[in-house]
Order: sequence, then C-alpha cells, then structure tokens
Amino acid sequence: MNVEMIEGFLLGVIAASSLTAGVFFLKFWRKTRDSFFLAFAASFLIEGLNRCGILLLQKPNEGSPWVYLVRLLSFLLILGAILKKNYGEK
Amino acid sequence: MGWIVYILGALVSSCCGLLLLRSYAHVKKRLLLWSGLCFVGLAISNLLIFVDLVIFPRINLYPLRLVATAASMLLLLYGLIWESEQ
Amino acid sequence: MAEQEQGHHDVDRFLEDQIDTVPHLEALLLLWNSRPKEWSIEEMAKALYLAPEAAKEILDDLVRRRLISAIMGNTESFRYDPETDKDLLMAAVDSTYRRELIRVTRLIHSKASASVRAFARAFRIKKDRE
Repeated sequence: MNVEMIEGFLLGVIAASSLTAGVFFLKFWRKTRDSFFLAFAASFLIEGLNRCGILLLQKPNEGSPWVYLVRLLSFLLILGAILKKNYGEK
Repeated sequence: MGWIVYILGALVSSCCGLLLLRSYAHVKKRLLLWSGLCFVGLAISNLLIFVDLVIFPRINLYPLRLVATAASMLLLLYGLIWESEQ
Repeated sequence: MAEQEQGHHDVDRFLEDQIDTVPHLEALLLLWNSRPKEWSIEEMAKALYLAPEAAKEILDDLVRRRLISAIMGNTESFRYDPETDKDLLMAAVDSTYRRELIRVTRLIHSKASASVRAFARAFRIKKDRE
C-alpha cells in the first residue's frame, strides 16, 4: 500500500464529504431562510474546494499560505454566523 | 505564521462541538450528536496540524491528520443523511 | 382589527417556536380541551392514532417545552396544567386551528425538521428564547 495513494484517497474522502455537507446546509438554508445555514454551507463548500486545490500544490503537507488563508475564511464564516445569531438583529 | 489560523480553527471547531453536544444533552436530537462529534474531531485535527508544523516538525503527522479529518467528516455525513429529516 | 392581527401573530409565533409536527399540536390540544384530565401513553396513542412509542416521544417533547406536565405514578400520565397566560394563548391556538386547519398545517409542514431547527438553536448562547 502506497502512502501517497492513501493520502490522496483520504483527501478525496474529505473533499467529497465537505462538498456534500455544504450541499446539505444549502438545503437547510433554502428551507429555513436562515442565513446561519448559508454561512455553514459556504464554509464547507469552500473547504471542499480548498481540498481540491491542494492537488495543485507541490508539497501539500507544508503550511502553504493559500491553504491556510482559505481555511481562515471558512472559520471566519462560521464564527461570523455564530456571532450574528447571538448579537445580530433582534 | 499559518499555525495561528489552525489554532483559531481548533478554537472555533471546539466551540461548535461543545455547543452542539451540550444541546444534545438537553434535546436528544441525534443530528446534534453526530455534528457535535464531527466538530470535536475537526478541532483535534486542527490541533494536530499545529503540533505537526510547530511542535514536532521532524515527524510527519500528515496521514494521521487526514484520517482524523476524514473520520470527522464521515460522522457529520452520517448524521446529515440519517437524522436531518427527524 | 389590529388586536386580531396581534393574536394571529402570537399564535403563528407559538406554532413556529414550539410545535414540531401536526401530531404534536393535536396532542397538546387534546390535553388542553380535556383539562385537567390525566391521560396515559396508551390512551393518547389510541386517541391520536399513533403507535405508543411515537406518542411517548411527542408527549416527552411537550413536557420538555413545559407545555404539559408529566405525572409519575404506577404508570406515567400527562395532563395540561392551567395557567392564566398560557391558557389565553392555548385558547387562541385552539380556535385558530379549528377555523384555519389548512393554513396551520401548511405552516407546520413548511418548517424545517426539528433536528435542523435544533441545530440552529444550539448556537444560541444567550438564552432569551429557549
């Protein structure tokens, strides 16, 4: 068993499940019209696409700025959604 | 510098996980359990990135990180598929 | 006219926040209309045409939201406990459901599942509307 293949496989699993989770959250957003779910959807979809983007990198393990900046965006989306839910419009 | 992002990620994920699991303790909706566990797992995975890059840079934890993230996402998927209609 | 609209609004708000499914509403109204009669799970299940497990889940949900009370005895039973403010709302909900069955059931059915709503509610740190 080839370590690189396993890593590639796991990246694929993560990408596919992130994108799928994102679509589920899109569905919840459509049903509830609560932007909270839209933020979660965007977060997971962005992370899923980010994982796909990693395929273009030479050294996926290193802390490449592109990877962690996108990850930062996905966290900020969730953080923003939580803050808005608690401190946003009454 | 990127490691700060992963610490933030670990904090945000654990916050999500705790909120969801706390709610599960009250309301017993299983979607909250699976998604809560997912976020706890993602917190661990983010923490592992920090450990990998900063604390033990000589050891390669990449496969372990990937396993942690994949397992967490699969828990979330399971919860979304089975429990989101209830 | 404005008062009627406010009443409508309160009923809708109650249905949005507290009622997960139509059987939940029917169970609650059954206990309300027969108050303060105590019902066992089997009696409720039969009256609502549900399996006892489903009835128990619904009744537990209603107890947790403090809409009805559970009485421990040889067997567990349930009843609606009168309380002035709640009674006013319940009367309004009851009459709205009788008059506007289609609108109310549509409103309830258009909601996201209880799990999805619980997911969003889990992130409310400030417990103003729990």
